[in-house]
Amino acid sequence: MRILVIEDDAETAAYLQGGLQEEGHVVTLAADGRNGLMLAATGDFDVLVVDRMLPGLDGLAVVRTLRASSVGTPALFLTTMSGIDDRVTGLDAGADDYLVKPFAFSELAARVKALGRRPRATAATTTVLRVADLELDLIKRTVRRAGQPIALQPREFRLLEYLMRHAGEVVTRTMLLENVWDYHFDPRTNIVESHLSRLRTKVEKGFAPELIHTLRGAGYCLREPG
Amino acid sequence: MSRVRRFRNSNFQLALLYAGLFTTSILVLFALTYRTAADYAAQDEADEIDVEFVAIQDEAHLAGDGYLPQIIANHLRQRSSEHAAYLLEDAAGQRLAGNIAARAPQLGPQNLRVPVDGQWRELRAHGYRLANGDYVLIGQDPRALRDMKHLIARAFSVNAAITLLLAVLGGVIISSRALRRVDALGRTTQAIVAGDLSRRLPLRGTDDEIDRLSANVNAMLDRIEDLMRSVRQVSNDVAHDLRTPLTRLRQRLEQARRRGDATPQELREVLEGAITQVDSILETFGALLRIAQIEAGGRRRARTTLDISALLSGVVEDFAPAAADRGQLLLAEVTPGLQLSGDREQLTQMLVNLLDNAIRHSGAGARIVVSAHASTAALEIVVADTGPGIPAPERDNVLRPFYRLESSRTTEGSGLGLSLVAVIAKQHGATLALADNGPGLRVTIKFVKNGAAARRSDAHVTLSDAFVQR
Ligand SMILES: Nc1ncnc2c1ncn2[C@@H]1O[C@H](COP(=O)(O)OP(=O)(O)OP(=O)(O)O)[C@@H](O)[C@H]1O
Ligand SMILES: [Mg+2]
Repeated sequence: MRILVIEDDAETAAYLQGGLQEEGHVVTLAADGRNGLMLAATGDFDVLVVDRMLPGLDGLAVVRTLRASSVGTPALFLTTMSGIDDRVTGLDAGADDYLVKPFAFSELAARVKALGRRPRATAATTTVLRVADLELDLIKRTVRRAGQPIALQPREFRLLEYLMRHAGEVVTRTMLLENVWDYHFDPRTNIVESHLSRLRTKVEKGFAPELIHTLRGAGYCLREPG
Repeated sequence: MSRVRRFRNSNFQLALLYAGLFTTSILVLFALTYRTAADYAAQDEADEIDVEFVAIQDEAHLAGDGYLPQIIANHLRQRSSEHAAYLLEDAAGQRLAGNIAARAPQLGPQNLRVPVDGQWRELRAHGYRLANGDYVLIGQDPRALRDMKHLIARAFSVNAAITLLLAVLGGVIISSRALRRVDALGRTTQAIVAGDLSRRLPLRGTDDEIDRLSANVNAMLDRIEDLMRSVRQVSNDVAHDLRTPLTRLRQRLEQARRRGDATPQELREVLEGAITQVDSILETFGALLRIAQIEAGGRRRARTTLDISALLSGVVEDFAPAAADRGQLLLAEVTPGLQLSGDREQLTQMLVNLLDNAIRHSGAGARIVVSAHASTAALEIVVADTGPGIPAPERDNVLRPFYRLESSRTTEGSGLGLSLVAVIAKQHGATLALADNGPGLRVTIKFVKNGAAARRSDAHVTLSDAFVQR
């Protein structure tokens, strides 16, 4: 993917660039908001990574300006821990996701990938999600594996839906907490793991091959075998 | 005390205002007195002239009208020292007697300006017509009137001068005393600004406005001093609680460096351990910031009326599998449809922290119940578990940041969970109470209905408040 990183701190920028390039992305750097805005406005990128605090034009203004001129490139907002309402204001301005600094690189990589492959346009018209022999009907709210109906709790259903929408991608625990549970903090009790193990039992037990994988230290991934 | 300051001083201005008012009322009083007295004196003088005329008339009656000129001359002689004026004219206007020149007869009271005893004088006079047609004019110096006027004017000016003097003097004395007080207050304030937070404004015990104001400022200073002390405490605690893991981290890294023969695998493990440790430090920072954010943002955040029953049941549902995995039973016993005005995210976090504690601090087999019910006056949320509980003397302590029971040292955590709960409860005007669940811990959060919004202003909590509780 072509990724534009708008970040003024040289060290962080280099760290992001190196890491994302290792993941196979093409990375362009912009050291201030004005430059970043000009580059982003060309629309040549798949994902924007925008720091909240930038000299000149700040990250919020960059994203807002882009959205106002209908540049819809998915944007990931980087905020600091002390930015009280940055999450809300960032999303309001038109950012698609946010990440609080400091973060684990794997977290950023997963989110960038998820943003870059965001199912757009199709999402609205799709009513049935399918991965291998697993089927999830968004209208009837039913799940079938190899044709057999599987009964899920509402939360398990949402969890599976999210995993299937991001099939083939790594989703992190915090991504799940935010999108499935709407928790914007990390409880010490690992509620994701408990729900996931139940979901696994229902969706995988007695079926083959295995679809939901745990990637140690990174997250989870639901993918087609092979 | 400079001259300018004295005149700008409000007390002095007040004194001047009073002096002015005083003077004005004296002026009005004077005008009234003067008028009355003058009228009275004028009447007196007119009466005197009348008496004189009647005497002349009587004498003429006895002696015959032909003696009028002599009678007039006699009267003139008797009053030679009084600068009186007499004039007798016959019907034809011929002057028969008197000390002033003939003039056109004019009857009744009149003012006269004539030369008497070689000097022009202003006289009060009265013209009479006798039965035989003769005209008599009697005039006299209005000296009584003039004297009275002088007297009154002098009395007034002396009075006014004394009044003004007293008012101004009083004003200066009062204002300089007030200024001295204000100066004393100013000096104390400056000392406080300079950093001596222990100083307090002096009180006189008179309970006047300045005293009450000073008492308020002192109360404010007490509060500020408290907060300062706790902020210091906070930084000490933070410093201490972060130094420990940072020291450990450093030792670990140094150890790895010293061991020259470490395999890449071993080094990798050290690095991973280091990252885990840094993450836990960052997490502590995050929790501290969150506490600060909640207290800073608590007032600004828009509160919504939310279905607290649904929120509680939802969170219980989210946590039930995790509890079950530890062999615990997590239940919700919530009256459906309870409404509460508050911040959804904060209330969720509050319950999550309490459930976290119940699940992690009570062992396998524990039963954890989240219940909520409302009376007309209050809404209560209770999280009760059947774990080891918290001994009574420790129940206040555990609300303090970083405080953890000895028995929890092996459980991961930073000791900030309950502090956050306390801050959120306070921001919502709710009370937080820890009690024995026989066995276990029973945490009750009580929201007073309809009072939440009104109480919020006086229940303003700061991060430091959480520390003040110690
Ligand atoms: N339900 C409970 N049963 C027994 N002890 C408890 C319970 N809840 C809290 N405690 C005690 O109170 C201490 C403070 O709790 P608090 O939630 O503030 O911190 P923590 O749980 O240790 O760490 P953190 O919440 O930051 O992860 C705990 O360490 C524990 O000793
Ligand atoms: Mg806790």
